[in-house]
Amino acid sequence: MKARTFALFIAPSVVLMILFIALPLASVLVQSFYNTRQVFEVVQVENCTPGFLTSVCTTEERSRPKLDAAGRPVLETTFVGLDTYRLLLQPEAVAQALSAGGGGLPALFNLDFYRALRFTLTFTLLTGPFVIGIGLAVALAVNGIVRSLRGPVIFIMLLPFIITPVIGALSIRWLFIGDGILTVALEWLLGRDLSLFAEGWTLEILMMLYRVWHVAPFAFVVFYAGLQTVDQDTLESAIVDGASRFERLRYVVVPHLMPLIVFVTLINLMDSYRVFEEVIGFSSQAHRISLQYLTYSYLTPDETGNRAISRASASSMLTMIGIVFILIPLLVRTWRDHRVTR
Amino acid sequence: MAETKALRAPLGLKLGNAAFLAVWIVVALFPLAWTALMSFKAPVDALSANPLRVIFGPVTWEHYKAVWITHGFYRNFLNSLLITAGVVTISLTVGTLAGYALARARSNLAFWILITALVFRALPHSVLVTGYLPPFLNSRELLMPLWDAPILGWILHLFAPVPPTLYGQPWAIILVLVSINQPFTIWMMRSFFMNVPHELDEAARVDGCTHFGAFWRVIMPVMWPGVITTGLFSFLLAYNDYLVTALLLDAQSQTMVPAISQFLNRDTRASDQIEAIAAAVSITAPLFVLVLVFQRQLVSGLTAGAVKG
Amino acid sequence: MIRTILAAASLSLLMSAGAQAACAFRNEVPLKSLTGSFEAWKAVTGAMNECGNVQAELDANFRQKQPPAFAANPSLYHIGGVANGTLTPLMNAGTIRPLDDLVAKYGQNLSPNQLIRNDGRIMAVAMMVNSQHLMYREDILQELGIPAPKTWDDVLAAAEKIKASGKLQYPLSGTYKAGLDLALEFINMYLGFGGQFTKADNTPAVNSEAGLKSLAMLKRISGYMDPEYLVADSTYVQKQFQQGKIAMANLWASRAAALDDPKESQVVGKVAMAAAPLAMAGGKPATTMWWDGIVVAKNIKDAEAEAAFRVAMEGIDTEMVKANNDTAVWLIKGFEPGRFAKGVVASAMGGAPNYPSTTAMGLMQTALGERLPDFMTGKATAEQTLAAIEASYLARAREQGLVR
Repeated sequence: MKARTFALFIAPSVVLMILFIALPLASVLVQSFYNTRQVFEVVQVENCTPGFLTSVCTTEERSRPKLDAAGRPVLETTFVGLDTYRLLLQPEAVAQALSAGGGGLPALFNLDFYRALRFTLTFTLLTGPFVIGIGLAVALAVNGIVRSLRGPVIFIMLLPFIITPVIGALSIRWLFIGDGILTVALEWLLGRDLSLFAEGWTLEILMMLYRVWHVAPFAFVVFYAGLQTVDQDTLESAIVDGASRFERLRYVVVPHLMPLIVFVTLINLMDSYRVFEEVIGFSSQAHRISLQYLTYSYLTPDETGNRAISRASASSMLTMIGIVFILIPLLVRTWRDHRVTR
Repeated sequence: MAETKALRAPLGLKLGNAAFLAVWIVVALFPLAWTALMSFKAPVDALSANPLRVIFGPVTWEHYKAVWITHGFYRNFLNSLLITAGVVTISLTVGTLAGYALARARSNLAFWILITALVFRALPHSVLVTGYLPPFLNSRELLMPLWDAPILGWILHLFAPVPPTLYGQPWAIILVLVSINQPFTIWMMRSFFMNVPHELDEAARVDGCTHFGAFWRVIMPVMWPGVITTGLFSFLLAYNDYLVTALLLDAQSQTMVPAISQFLNRDTRASDQIEAIAAAVSITAPLFVLVLVFQRQLVSGLTAGAVKG
Repeated sequence: MIRTILAAASLSLLMSAGAQAACAFRNEVPLKSLTGSFEAWKAVTGAMNECGNVQAELDANFRQKQPPAFAANPSLYHIGGVANGTLTPLMNAGTIRPLDDLVAKYGQNLSPNQLIRNDGRIMAVAMMVNSQHLMYREDILQELGIPAPKTWDDVLAAAEKIKASGKLQYPLSGTYKAGLDLALEFINMYLGFGGQFTKADNTPAVNSEAGLKSLAMLKRISGYMDPEYLVADSTYVQKQFQQGKIAMANLWASRAAALDDPKESQVVGKVAMAAAPLAMAGGKPATTMWWDGIVVAKNIKDAEAEAAFRVAMEGIDTEMVKANNDTAVWLIKGFEPGRFAKGVVASAMGGAPNYPSTTAMGLMQTALGERLPDFMTGKATAEQTLAAIEASYLARAREQGLVR
């Protein structure tokens, strides 16, 4: 393919990605080193608010934002270097927590960023094996039933995957919150009172269960598609060689599916690193937050209508560095493959 | 595999298999079915701790009526429709072209584009939204110089007398979602194109087609399963998105998924909670139909190739 | 099914057409409003709708949507519903207009105490006051011979008795949802203990004796609550009351009427209203007074602003109050305080302070909401929590320029 044709074909896609991914990323990087704030002035203000029956007027000294001639707030932007990162990473607090008698890891995980990091990594690493395992098991099971049943079964299996994540999380939440139907059932089984939403660890387990429930069907459908292309001759010769069912699975089917397992692992790694909807759906903010939720919480305006853009930018950059680290082994492998195929 | 006699499973395994599937089907279906059931019941029954009341309580359409008519959920539905349709169309058009080029190119540049795309795919969306938010809110001032520019300004004036505020604009969100989805789309389309033999386009070129002609008349016709599969994923991304739409759209242009949070927060009465559930079920219904229609293409599309790359 | 939808649709058309007579003029300018979503707003926006061409949006997340939507030019909404706290961001950003001339022209029916002035200019028109105050199950307390609680210590003693009697497993509840709700619980208690939030130079002052006392009190109260209290917002508490699961809570006055709604509540007529309990003897009721009201956007045409204001006046007129007397504690002429207003009036008479709508307070509430859950879940001690609140407040105040 000629370079010019190549450029023409790829241009729209690249332009979009530069405009809406690369540029915002660059601006986020820049923003994380700057801080924009309002200019406040102290003034004598008379305020009247309704008391009951009569109004209460007070005159007091009050800080209020300076407005320019057009009535818009005056803003000033300053370069703050790595200050915002320091605010997020709190190196002093970390050193103190990890020093002797400083409370150790529990104290460290009380700091927002580390708490989010801990949860995000645990979540990412723990859900992966379950997604793969269950996906594979279901794919093998579906592959083992009569052809006419497969269609409807696949349809039902896919539902948890296609459902809107927030809604999926909510539907699980409705089953468990307060005296939800499944909590009642569990209480009846265990014979004790349960409050699944009152403890961090029960919430964490619920969130992971939800994620596996939601993503396993994706693994399933990919593996199922892969199973359709297993080489029948290899399988049959394995049988002739006297390989047991398990050995056939271990030495023929799984190696055939290996690229797909890598593919699903990769997608799951990226997606569960982004865990966010679970936090909203299960309202777990008080107990568990994820990295992406941390950024989101900085971005939502606080009670003064202000968005903590610098901190959101800094936490975004840290989140990104994290995912690049996770992807490095994969990137190195792809680069080697690329050089070989050339 | 089931056809090969030697591979036929013993009865015990078959039963175990069926039991396992049955359990998993219940697990997959129960939360959704239960939610759907609740949406048709009066609050006293739906929120009752006794499951029999939820199952056998009288059916009512009350909540759906409230959601769709009284609270005007149809507006959110139309917004969702607009945004999803826009995203799928543009995403596929742009992504197919790029995927084809990347599948046929052997240059280092193509490799690096793919790797960058992979890193972009992994980016948490909040990172990007952080970047969009300030310029979207202030886009009027930021774009003003363009409108004041000599010739370009005159052209732009034909479209709008003043630059738009991008915050809350559906078409801006469409572009955002297309871009966010682009990395996945081009990877997916590329692996589909990798499975289309080179000889096919070369044969077409020999017959005197231009590169684009070959692409359009010869390659595309065999690509439909791939396009549909990729389209399905684009659809899911656009339709299900919460983060981007919640932060960048205002209440009037809100799509269904973020709008549900206002149903949840609205609840001051027990019936409001069931209305939230009814809204949730309403959002799910189109997805249900979609999978029903396209399930076969999805599996055959994945089998055909995407997953080999 | 289709027939019922059509019937419902035509019915609602008929209703709005019939009700149009209730509005004093016919509004021709298309207007949009964004307000909160509790019952009082449903009543007010309903009355505004009668004038025609008004598209009302009721959204519990209005506090997050209002600032950007009003900052757009032209503003995405004409009329906004605000409360003490949510007025600050709009005023700070300069996106709402002074209403003096409009009040002079169309506000003949307003009482002077409805006018919210800042720096001498009228920035908002209040329509109701709201406050968290004590609601309790009169029947249960009487049966156990417990007098109506006056202080939080009384409340705790009563809770202990109710629990011991085996009547209820969790006698108390409160709006302890992690975030702003929980922060407000602390603010109420802290003011009840006579605390100061900031010093004159806007640096924080919560790390104090009153702070420790407030935290200890919140913890003690939570001991009598359903352990899932960190997800309890006003609606959650209201439902607990309605289902007869709790006996006492410090809940918003605007929720009182729902407890007597026979369609939803199993405790109709059994819940009594009283002033918010005192945090310490001789103090003021541990609560804050809030008002809700209406603002008009700045970035719209003057003609639109005029129409918006006239429509808003129709929304908060005496006629509306007459039809919805018990929905809220209205400030509007024609309101007759009933059973549900008792708690607010008693709290106000007891000297409960207004919620201070300042930038510093907004930051403080955010910081509190962020840090308090760690204390409630036992992850941090009281001292650590107060220090963390101050640190979080300072970080925000510096970032925003309030503290140099």
